Amino acid sequence: MENTVVRIKDLVKRYGDLIALDHFELEIKDGEIFGLLGPNGSGKTTTINCLLSLLSFDKGDIEIFGKKMTPVSYDIKKEIGVIMQNVAVFDELTVYENIDYFCGLYISDKAKRRQYVEEAIKFVGLEDFRKFYPKKLSGGLLRRLNIACGIAHKPKLIILDEPTVAVDPQSRNRILEGIQELNRNGATVIYTSHYMEEVEQICTRIAIMDKGRKVAEGTKDELKRMIKNTETITIEILELPGKVLGEVAGLPHIYDADYVDGRLVLSCSGGKHNLTRVLDVLHKHELGFGRVYTELPTLNDVFLEITGKALRDKED
Amino acid sequence: MQVFKAMFKIVKKRLPSAMVYIIVFVTISVLVTNASSKDNQFKASRMEISVFDHDDTPESRALTEYLGKNNDIVEIEDDKDKIIDALYYKKLNYALIINEGYAEKLKAGETADLFGNYHLDECFSTVYIGQFLNEYTSSIKAYLAMGKTSDEAIALAEEALSVQTEVNMLRVDKGGNSHYSVDFAGYFQYMPYVLISVILAVVCQVLVTMNKKDIRYRTNCSCIKNSKYTAQLFIGSGLFVLAVWLLLIAVGAVLNEEMYTGRAWYAVLNSLIFSVIVAAMAVFIASFDPKDNVLSLITQITGLGMSFFCGIFIPMDVLSDGVLSVARFMPAYWYIRANNMIADIEAFDKDKIFQCYAMQLAFIAAFVTLTLLVRRIRYSGASIGTAVKKAAVS
Amino acid sequence: MFLHILKYELKNGLRTKDLMIWLILFPIALGICFKIAFGSIYDKTEKFSSIPVAIVEENENEAFRQVINSIESSEEPFLKASFVTREKAEKLLDDGEVEGIIFSGDELSLTVKEKGLRETMLKFFTEQFTVRERIISDAIKTSPEKAQEVIAALTENTESSCRDIPVTQGNPDLYIQYFYNLIAMVALFGCNTGVHITIQNQADLSALGARNNCSPAHKSVSILACLAGSFIMQTFCMILCVSFVAFILKVDFGDRLLLVYPAAILGGILGVSFGFFVGSLARVGEKAKTAIVTSAAMLMCFCSGLMMANMKLFIAEKMPWFNNINPAALISDCFYCLNIYEDYGRFISKLINIAVITVIFIFLGFISSRRKKYASV
Repeated sequence: MENTVVRIKDLVKRYGDLIALDHFELEIKDGEIFGLLGPNGSGKTTTINCLLSLLSFDKGDIEIFGKKMTPVSYDIKKEIGVIMQNVAVFDELTVYENIDYFCGLYISDKAKRRQYVEEAIKFVGLEDFRKFYPKKLSGGLLRRLNIACGIAHKPKLIILDEPTVAVDPQSRNRILEGIQELNRNGATVIYTSHYMEEVEQICTRIAIMDKGRKVAEGTKDELKRMIKNTETITIEILELPGKVLGEVAGLPHIYDADYVDGRLVLSCSGGKHNLTRVLDVLHKHELGFGRVYTELPTLNDVFLEITGKALRDKED
Repeated sequence: MQVFKAMFKIVKKRLPSAMVYIIVFVTISVLVTNASSKDNQFKASRMEISVFDHDDTPESRALTEYLGKNNDIVEIEDDKDKIIDALYYKKLNYALIINEGYAEKLKAGETADLFGNYHLDECFSTVYIGQFLNEYTSSIKAYLAMGKTSDEAIALAEEALSVQTEVNMLRVDKGGNSHYSVDFAGYFQYMPYVLISVILAVVCQVLVTMNKKDIRYRTNCSCIKNSKYTAQLFIGSGLFVLAVWLLLIAVGAVLNEEMYTGRAWYAVLNSLIFSVIVAAMAVFIASFDPKDNVLSLITQITGLGMSFFCGIFIPMDVLSDGVLSVARFMPAYWYIRANNMIADIEAFDKDKIFQCYAMQLAFIAAFVTLTLLVRRIRYSGASIGTAVKKAAVS
Repeated sequence: MFLHILKYELKNGLRTKDLMIWLILFPIALGICFKIAFGSIYDKTEKFSSIPVAIVEENENEAFRQVINSIESSEEPFLKASFVTREKAEKLLDDGEVEGIIFSGDELSLTVKEKGLRETMLKFFTEQFTVRERIISDAIKTSPEKAQEVIAALTENTESSCRDIPVTQGNPDLYIQYFYNLIAMVALFGCNTGVHITIQNQADLSALGARNNCSPAHKSVSILACLAGSFIMQTFCMILCVSFVAFILKVDFGDRLLLVYPAAILGGILGVSFGFFVGSLARVGEKAKTAIVTSAAMLMCFCSGLMMANMKLFIAEKMPWFNNINPAALISDCFYCLNIYEDYGRFISKLINIAVITVIFIFLGFISSRRKKYASV
């Protein structure tokens, strides 16, 4: 199980002066669902395109299944399924024909192909739309067709580049479950997204990218451990004198305290009994309070803390 | 004004292709207007003749020289393929071979088989030159029969042949004035093609874009009043059509080298009516929401089809009666009819010209009605439909 | 693999609306227009037919009347005369019923409305009459004893002095050039399918291209299959187009119609290859590529005479080499050669030219589309 499926070493890609990938390294093991997380323009898609040998790069080595990947590595390509960010299907072919076409590029045995195509249709739930043209499909269905075209040939390595953009929650859930099922059936999955919940839900290991570099890597828990925040405490209080706020902020393990709109928000790092100590202070000053709740950090916090909160609107 | 601005942004995008039509049209018009001659003196047509003199005697050279007086002698390589090409493309009207022994035979009074000619088809030009050669040789023969020497006979024959018949040009005065010459009528003759191409390509595109489902829905949600929206669409399209028409009329005045006078105003009015027809047609076509490629197909077919059917590209009298009876159902036919009368190609008749105008106006009414109908069926109450109704009422 | 891709390329192509529109509907519409415009123009204006003429007799002129009668009774009369009054004659001329009015008095005079070959022929005819009168009077003056002989010399000889050397069995109608060029245009419009091939196979042009590039199908196999598919579709369009022009519009291609088909098909293949070549060479987007090839195709057709039939001859005079490399001119020349020339020499050399250009286009297209990786996707 510990075989390396994908190994990217020291990858550099420049677009003119812009450095899209800056000595990027990555290793993906067999059986993983590997999440590639990053804001727009961080180099996720570039990484995928280099990995697939679509893009030329300035420096670096890429190995898939232990072999060097080149544009003519047809034996490697045979085992890869790709689902691109943009829907890539023929407008003039029906759902069935589209899947059959792409599957046929990998599998020439007709009987086997027919079975695979049927399975793929069932897998994405397009049974009722076999004869439909892509133009007639809704956004979610189109995405599902896009996925079916990529996985019909049962690849060992599946690469999904933001497959759930503009998809409704039902379709999204279905897609995510599908990916997990593919993984259970033995496929290694590379999944890029900027939706934290998705990645948190399905990925076994995650790399966070920013500005063409890998800024963090690990399992969900490992990543969460990396950041300062371990707990966020929110207390509703009608009135809070500044003196008390200062006292609360001065408590051990609390590194940030904020009082806005009748809510006291405290960010804690490590330590135990943080809540008790805060409540003790409030008791001391005989301050009443409403609801109290604490939250554990999400991947979102990890992401924001690592990549910074500044708004990203560069093109991906 | 927002709608207006958006429209003109779309118009701007389509303008280059529209300009291509206009520039090509104007250039061709300039060439055509300059090439024509306005004198009323009859001139005999000159033929393009090539001579392959296999006899090469003073007699044969005399013939070549004489032919050259009233025709143009063309030097061409004695290569069969090249001669065929030249004959086929009418670069050459006659390829004459003077057979060896021409002088001998002529002296002996034989006229058969003196010449050969590369013959493609029985054209007017081949018949004409054939007649000329017969006349030339039999005249020489006649003088030889009178006992002249061959030199004398040739000289006398040539002298006799130089007789000129007096030719008059028929000019029936139909009470028109000459400011609207036949040459200038050509400018107005081709105008419908340009109007159709430019207006359909631009106005249809704009209306289709503005009327796309997403944009229509979004606009319907906005605070702008429906009627105001469509009014702006109409004013915008109208302004564009008017601008194109004015441009063409202005260029026409420049080409004509003077302001329109007298009868030419009929032609100006005629073209204005036709512009409105095309605008109405554009609105009608746009109401079907054609896709880009379908729209350009429609534009091409309407433009070319009407031009060929209704005698825009080729004179009406070459068209067969069958074609003309079909053409009656197209607005350009009535435009051309009127233009022909204004240009004296047909007898000028004010009442008949106004009849043609009336027919064209009927087409406008028909297009508006059809548009209303289509709109009502396709999406009742949608923006443009109401505007058309309003336009029809006012 | 090849067959699989071919099958879907065909399915895909046959369902493409643009193909239907520009390769089938548009040529049909344009063909009908051409037929209406040029169908009978040759017969009406160039081909010889009797010239209608009105004759107004101002004085009794028995000799002239006799000449007219003898002309009219001949097998292929040169004139179609009607003897009328002056007013009637002018009306006929004004309405275009006759080409001219001959006033026969002491001297013949002619009135016409236009300046053209037919009028010139009428003029020559009247002069001919005067010339003969003069020669005979010359003869009577100088040597009356030989007058009879002279008259015989002028009249006996009905045989033409000039023998026609027919150069072709084909259709001499210049205006069928327009149909040749129409077919050439359809052939060259195949360039759009050619461009399509490159778009489908290049990762930097479309998402489909990217996906196809990720598949284990060899790129050259995939391109070959697409090319084959496009060739088949173009062949279909060409057969349809030629059949339409030949059988529905009844345009006379000469007597070797069967050879017109392979020439047209080869032309279509050239068109597709041209698109494929430009598509794989130009590093621009899909829209720009389509615009480039379509306008290039139209320009070629223009130079070959689609808009003005004389264009090709004009180019043949100024830069003859261009007609040997301009695909549109080559294709329409093939039809012309088949129609006009007896031998096949020039036809075959045109075909070879087409084939060579096609091979060059495909070869260069292949070389540049075998590019493995893209600078940006």
